[in-house]
Amino acid sequence: MPEKVNVALAQISCKVGDKKHNINVMKNNIKRAKEKGANLVIFPELSLTGYLNRDLAYELAEPIPGSSIYSLEETAKKENIYIVFGMPEQSEKAHAVLYNTAVLLGPDGLIGKYRKMHLPTHSVFEEKRYFRLGYEAPVFETEIGKMGLTICYDMFFPEISRLLRLKGSQLIVCISASPAVRSRFFEVFTAARALENTVFLAYVNLVGVENGLQFWGGSRIIAPDGSILAKANYDEEDLVIGTIDYADLERAEAFVPTLRDLRPELFNSLREQAEKL
Amino acid sequence: MSTLKLTSDVLKLDLPSVENRIKRFVKDYVEKCGADGVVLGASGGLDSSATAALASLSLGGHKVLGIAMPEEETYDVTDIQHAKLLAKKFDFNLQIVDISSTLKACFQSLPIYDVADKLSKGNVKARIRMVYLYYYANKLNRLVCGASDKSEIMVGYFTKWGDGAADISPIMDLYKTQVRQLALHIGVPAEIVAKPPSPRLWPNQLAEKELGIKYETLDLILFGLEHFMKSKEIAEQLKLPIKLVEDVKRRWLVTEHKRRLPLTTKLGYRTIGKDFRLPHKPY
Repeated sequence: MPEKVNVALAQISCKVGDKKHNINVMKNNIKRAKEKGANLVIFPELSLTGYLNRDLAYELAEPIPGSSIYSLEETAKKENIYIVFGMPEQSEKAHAVLYNTAVLLGPDGLIGKYRKMHLPTHSVFEEKRYFRLGYEAPVFETEIGKMGLTICYDMFFPEISRLLRLKGSQLIVCISASPAVRSRFFEVFTAARALENTVFLAYVNLVGVENGLQFWGGSRIIAPDGSILAKANYDEEDLVIGTIDYADLERAEAFVPTLRDLRPELFNSLREQAEKL
Repeated sequence: MSTLKLTSDVLKLDLPSVENRIKRFVKDYVEKCGADGVVLGASGGLDSSATAALASLSLGGHKVLGIAMPEEETYDVTDIQHAKLLAKKFDFNLQIVDISSTLKACFQSLPIYDVADKLSKGNVKARIRMVYLYYYANKLNRLVCGASDKSEIMVGYFTKWGDGAADISPIMDLYKTQVRQLALHIGVPAEIVAKPPSPRLWPNQLAEKELGIKYETLDLILFGLEHFMKSKEIAEQLKLPIKLVEDVKRRWLVTEHKRRLPLTTKLGYRTIGKDFRLPHKPY
């Protein structure tokens, strides 16, 4: 496994409901990212379809693997690159059961997927109306490191990033569709999740306007010491690359040893109290 | 007790950011619709001036057409002068269309017309203006750009399907006092910003007099309601009679019908306005 990995943050805007267009945009960005030396290219949440699909989600969702996966797998193989993107996933067992899913593809094809565990259903968000909660937080062991995936609102909950770190993640990817009024939350949470777990965190947010919501971009890679290694522009499409060096993990862990100082006995109490909330 | 303090500070805006977001929103939507620009009512008042200025800054003045629609009963030469001043400053086209004869014909043809019922009569004026705007929009492949602000929409101080009818309403998430800030920031002449708001539905109509409250106070009450504050707490913080706050709250709640599609009863599998939930502009 290489010590250093070049991660491309592909901060795109999507056409709602137009998978063909969005796949073309993704393929174009993958090619450009590869030309810039990227090993991994990350796209925003639901980048296959756009975020605010509402009832169209039922016809846009695909099983995994499905036709869109096959199409992007070809590109991953051709460009010899890893890809993370978001899509509405249809259960193979029940067609109206959908998940808000992040997919990881590699040079050999589909590696795995993560189904969003925290679905915002408040304010302008209505994800629980359409999506079922995910129940697993897998860590994928790849040629470019051990990687865990998260999606947007997951950042508000420290548990999932911690779990991924305890399962061995070196890099946590967060794909997002965050509107502008929430930028200050993500600026804080992304840094906090990286610091408290001494882990690399790559956050990729959508841009563009959907249904009056303006997605703010601001994608970034955060080092285990909280420093920002790469940062995309706000409010416009961008493609930036940052290099992560896994050797930095050890130094960060020694400097602020949050993992060593964990108190697992608190977790039971947390569960008890949360159940009684 | 809430830590949210209802002072004028809570209504302060990050003006460059708000300006950019509104400009981006207008440009994005007009482009997605394939429209050639916008038409808007150019009354010479604060809201329409701020909206016309923002649309011009967003799309370029050549894609903005302001229509001033005076009528003899509420004619005010200053309004026309202000509309012209603004059009010149922001380089958009202005047409002046007198709607007096249309209004007269409309009233004369109404079998139950009652000259003393100024509200029903006034609402016809707002709706006739809407008809004109949509004619221009259809004819010129443009969108109708509304100029309602959040204060007026929240308390229902607008004519349903009249000035409330539009394809986009760029300043609808800003309270009146916030529109004043933004208007000054983008260069709307101070004399327009300082003018007492009026819908011009009948002579000498003044919004604050009719509403019975200054916008500075109304906006803070509405801000509190927006942020889930209880009437009692709002009244205590603003040192207002609880009845005044409750009246504003009541106005807000009973006018929800003006902000929605027409109500129907659910009969089908998916119902318009209820559980037919589609993207606003999918392609």
